[in-house]
Amino acid sequence: MKFLLTDQLVSIEPGKKIIVAKNVTMAEEYLADHFPGFPVLPGVMMLEAAVQACAWLVRQSSDFRHSIVVLREARGVKYSTFVAPGHTLVITADVLELEATQSAFRVKGTVHGAPAIQGRLEMTHQNLADHHDGMKKIDRTIVQTQRDRWALLVERAASA
Amino acid sequence: MPMTQEEVFKKVKDVLTSALAVDEEEVTPEAKLSEDLGAESIDYLDITFQLEKTFAIKIPKGELIPENLFSNPELVANGKVTPKGLEELKSRMPYANLSAFEQDPDVNKFRDIFTVNTLVNYVMTKVN
Repeated sequence: MKFLLTDQLVSIEPGKKIIVAKNVTMAEEYLADHFPGFPVLPGVMMLEAAVQACAWLVRQSSDFRHSIVVLREARGVKYSTFVAPGHTLVITADVLELEATQSAFRVKGTVHGAPAIQGRLEMTHQNLADHHDGMKKIDRTIVQTQRDRWALLVERAASA
Repeated sequence: MPMTQEEVFKKVKDVLTSALAVDEEEVTPEAKLSEDLGAESIDYLDITFQLEKTFAIKIPKGELIPENLFSNPELVANGKVTPKGLEELKSRMPYANLSAFEQDPDVNKFRDIFTVNTLVNYVMTKVN
């Protein structure tokens, strides 16, 4: 399955802050084991949703300059309430630092306003071609895929 | 190989500081793995593996953390563990202190049963 964990763009202040929403559904395959009879979004998925929220802000702010925008370090991650199917996890990511090839965010995820996850995320932004010249084409393909996904999020945010 | 509570606690503390990236001082006997030390489900896998390696014990699936509880309507109903469920828990987790959980057997609070002491007591039953 593809772990696309941002369903809706709630708001974005370029370079400053982004809010996205992830709906949890019974159809998510990892719920079958987590836990049998008590399906809840795994903490690592909450963290991944937060990482993806930050990545969107980085990409939008840099006009998709880098194909690879990933987590470098997570600090002080605390989990509070569970997120069950039928609920929406709202992730707010505030920029602490935003440079060309790295960034840091304070992230908070809530369910009906109650805290679910919080922490500090440090991201790294790179192109595969930085290390291997022959990867330029792959970078372009990745960037185009991300642009298409972002366009979907933005379009639906506008009509929501 | 018999070990004292102190010896086991010291090694459990090392496992937890490594698995959860917390300071030693935070790992107190009463500390809750999830609420106080930030353990998440994937961390429990890591902790189990490291306990097995550290103490040369085998921790079969479902022995430390009981499974097949929540899907049984006789044991869990309306988000709470039933009296029958509590009896089941007590028999499956003799190493755990369930008194706080019994006061409010909300399934959302199940993780709170797992404190550092819970792990120490569990390991003590395996090494002695």
